[in-house]
This record gives sequence, C-alpha cells and structure tokens, in this order.
Amino acid sequence: MDLFLQTAINGLLIGGVFAAFSLGFQLAFGVLHVVDFAVGGWVMLGGYAGYWGSTLLGVDPFLLLPATFALFAATGYLLGPLVYRVRATRYARPALMTLAFTFGLFLVMRGGALTFWGFDTRAVSTVASGENIRIGPVVVPLLRLIAFLFAAALALGLFAVLYRTRLGLAIRATAQSREYAGLMGVDVKRLSALVYALYTGLTGVAGVLMAAIYSVTPETGLRYTLFAFFVAVLAGLGSVGGVLAAALFLGVLEAMVAVYVGSSYSHLVVFGTLYLVLLLSPQGILRRGAIAES
Amino acid sequence: MRGTAARAVLLAAVAAALLALPLWTSSYWTRIATGALMWAGLACSWNIVGGYAGYVNFGHAAFFGVGAYSTAILMGYDHEWPFFLTLPVGLAVAAALAAAIGAPTLRLRGAYFAIATWAFAEVLFELATLLDVTGGTGGLSLPPLLDERFFYYTMLAAAAGTYALAYVLLERARFGYRLKALRDNEVAAETMGIDTTRVKVQAFALSAALAALFGSIYAYWVTFIDPPSVMGGDLTDQMVVMVLLGGLGHPWGPALGAAALYLVNRFFWATWGDTAAYIALLGIAIGAVVLFLPDGLVSLGSGRRRRGALRALIGKLW
Repeated sequence: MDLFLQTAINGLLIGGVFAAFSLGFQLAFGVLHVVDFAVGGWVMLGGYAGYWGSTLLGVDPFLLLPATFALFAATGYLLGPLVYRVRATRYARPALMTLAFTFGLFLVMRGGALTFWGFDTRAVSTVASGENIRIGPVVVPLLRLIAFLFAAALALGLFAVLYRTRLGLAIRATAQSREYAGLMGVDVKRLSALVYALYTGLTGVAGVLMAAIYSVTPETGLRYTLFAFFVAVLAGLGSVGGVLAAALFLGVLEAMVAVYVGSSYSHLVVFGTLYLVLLLSPQGILRRGAIAES
Repeated sequence: MRGTAARAVLLAAVAAALLALPLWTSSYWTRIATGALMWAGLACSWNIVGGYAGYVNFGHAAFFGVGAYSTAILMGYDHEWPFFLTLPVGLAVAAALAAAIGAPTLRLRGAYFAIATWAFAEVLFELATLLDVTGGTGGLSLPPLLDERFFYYTMLAAAAGTYALAYVLLERARFGYRLKALRDNEVAAETMGIDTTRVKVQAFALSAALAALFGSIYAYWVTFIDPPSVMGGDLTDQMVVMVLLGGLGHPWGPALGAAALYLVNRFFWATWGDTAAYIALLGIAIGAVVLFLPDGLVSLGSGRRRRGALRALIGKLW
C-alpha cells in the first residue's frame, strides 16, 4: 500500500509538468489549428537551455526560468508567422503540410542537438536535487514538488491570461472563429504569433523542469511529443479544460506501469492506450475536441 | 505521339542502364544502388496512401518490419525455409494486418490518422523488443548470402514491379480515380457512389504489402535485423521526406526524391561516419520543400512557365 501511494504521488507530481507543456500545445492547436510535432523538440531544447544556463553562468536553473521563458517565447514569436504562413496558404492540404513542416522543425532540432551536443546524457542539478520531504509513509521528492508547483503556477497564469485579460478574450474569440475575430478588430496574424510565442515559452520552461527531474539527451524529444499527443487526444484536441486531468492520468499511468509491470512496458502501454482512445473516441474522452480537417 | 515515343526511349534507356549497372560498377556502388532501389520502392509504397489518398501514414516502418521479421523468422534455424517462399508470407501478413487495422484507423482524418498510425507502429516496435519470437532487442540473424548481384537484381525487380503496379493501378485504372476523388473531397466521392472506406482499406493494404516486400529482401540482404533497424521511426521519416521532396502524389517523383536523399545519406555516412547532421538536413529539406516547392522536385521539370524560367536562368549563366 505504501508503494502504491508513493507511486501515485510520484505520478501525480510528474503529471503536473506534463500538463504544463500540453497546455501550450493545446492552445496552439485551438488558435492556430496547428498540430505541432515539434512540441517534444521544444521540451528537449528547454532542457539544454537549463543545462547550459546553469553550467555556463553557474546560476540555479530555477532562477533562470524567467529568462528561459523569454528566450523561447522570442524564438516562437519569430517562428510563429512562418508556421502560420504554411497553415494559411492555398496549398492543396494545408493541415498536412503544416504537420510535415513542424515535423521538419522537429528533425532540425533533434539533428542539430545530436550534431552539436552528441548523445551524452546531461543532468541538470538544482538546489532541490536529492532532497526529500517525509509525510508519514511517503517520501515526496522536493524537486518534483517544486517542479509541480512551478507547472501549476504556469497553468494558473495561462488561465488568468485567457479568462481575465483582453488578450485572452481575443485569443478565445480567434479560437472560435478567425474570420469573425478579424472582423471585430483582432489582428489575427499578430495574435497567432503571440500564441505561438506563449506556447514555445511554456514548453521551454517545462523542458527545464523535465530535465531537472530526468536529465536530457537529444533523443528525449520524441517521448515528450508522444506525451503531448497523448494528453491532447485524451483531453480532446484543442480543449484546454481536460488537459489537467489527462496529464495527471498519464503521469500516474506511466508510474504505475513502471513500478508494477516493468519500465520496458511503459511505451507499449502509453502508445497502446493512445491508439485505442483514438479509435474509440477521437474527440477525446470528454468529447470536447475539434473534428480533424485534412 | 512524339511525347510518347520520347518517353518510351527514355524508359528503355533507364531500364538498360539499371540492368547493366552491376556489370560495370564496383560492388560498393552496387550496394549503394541496391539501397537506392529499396528506398525508391518504399517511397512509392508510402505515396499510395500518403500522396494518392491524402492520408499521412507516420507508421509505415511497421509494415517494413513485418516483412523483415517474417523472412527472418521463417529462414531461421527453426524453419529453414527458402527465401522466395517467405516473400508471399510477409506480403500476406502485412496486407492482412493493414486490412484489419485499416478499417477503424482510416476513419480518422488528418493529424488524427497520423498520430494513430504512429502509435500503432510504436506498439509493434515495442512488441518486437519484448517478444521471444522476434529475438527481442537482441535481434535475429539470417543465413548469409554474399552475392551483391543477386540482391541488386532482386531489389530491381521489386522496385520496377512496384512502380509498374502503382502506375497501372493509380494512373490507368478506376481504382486510382477513386482514390484521387476521395483525396480531393471525401464527402463528394461518397456521394458519387464510391465506397470510400473500402477503397482506402484496399490502398492501405496494398501499400503495406509492398513495404513488407522490401522488408523481406532487406532482411536477407543485411542478414541481421533488430527492432531499430527495421521498425524504427527513422525509416518512416525518410520515406515521408523522400516523397515530399520528389513530389507528393506523383507516379515517379518518389523515385527521384529517394535516389537524391539516399545518395546524400551515404555521402554523410562515408564522410563523417555518422548521420546526426543528416537528420537536421532532412528537416531543412522538409521545411524548404513545404515553403518553396510544395509539389516537389518533379514540378521543376514540368509546366511551360517553370521550364521557361529555367531556360532563362541557364541562358544567363552561359
């Protein structure tokens, strides 16, 4: 029973970080209608940003989170219009072309990271690394707790922006209808770039947190793309509300499989669940997602 | 008529060159040509669903792996089948598997289909690493055959057959018109009386069986297979890029893209001994094609305006 509780806690805490990068992904899909294959690439690059930031500057990666967010958001702001251009062209199948484009982006990130930094695993150490808090029979790793709190703060911040500001109103309006939002005076192009920036910023920060917990290699990106897809599909593509539940479910599922079945089965179970959910309920468990267009 | 005659001459010249190739090149270049033929065939098989039906399959490597494992298991020490008897088994298994998962999976569209095929391929990949019959992560060995020409001509026959079959079925038969119709507008195609689900599943099974054929030959050729080498996501990545580069939905564009990319890949391998930078190059190639050349390399050669522009450019350079 203690093991079960412990596993559940570990899974829930890590699920919070999954939620942080899935939220941005969902937002990008909801507003830009872009399924970003590169989401795991941003997480991976975020990890490297944390590693190099703390190694070269000697500062704790937690203190560098705002700078990481700014760096990734700026990159996303510059790259966003390009993605948006592909999505909005008169190609035969813009959605597939965009998927291919972000897939290309992902390959550039992965290949670039492999070329420049090699296959080595880099560990990101923070003040909280290795520290634990005992609560009765369970041990709560301080690092995971802090990462969870950061992720929760990010999610709350995002919700505050979405539901309490004029920018958020414009974002939600654009997600409902680009045309009508444009007619109401929303600069849809600029807003799309901003949303993409928000998404890359969030994902980069989540990458630092993931790297602090697990360490980072160029090959980790694919795993996080899978996780983001999993959460997005379970929540329903484009729905922000179901993300938290889906991410926590994924965290617990992965932790339980790793402890009770064996960690070599975790990919099998996650991919298998993803495939079955897609077949049985492609609009998400809560049936809130968008219908895919081709 | 002139165009037809010119095309026949060109085709005959290409065929003669390919048939005579191992007679005048070293075994190193024969190996490279064998690989290029394999990738050309794989790209063509991906193009059937990706280009003609408009469904992006991100898990095509799974079917390549099914073919490779069928041959490896049947030719192994437990069964010791002759090579050519294993080919129909691999084809049939892949086609049956594709037909079984095709009906539910092909209901999904766009990105959903891409994600679902990826997930399915990864499930098969994980199974291959866990099961005993596939040798797990340790892989499987096949009885070696050191005859480069045999593999070259086998691969050539398979690739030529694949392109001929795809050309006849997709460009000269009703099947191809049905596929293109549902790609351009699935609801309209359904309204015109096309059983879209059936056509899609047929195309999916055909594409899977062809990929398995190359998987079988590849397994015998390299004599050792393990999950990353025959089911890895990198294989699918390459096929997608080759088709995009050559020309999505074009009868022979994928061959062009495959040959070009495979040569670049070998060049990277020969020069630096690893292909990390090649992965980044693949990504840049996709980005450039999507942004500037959405119809692929073949679109450079056709169309009077582009040809005029090319001639003008060449004229200036001279």
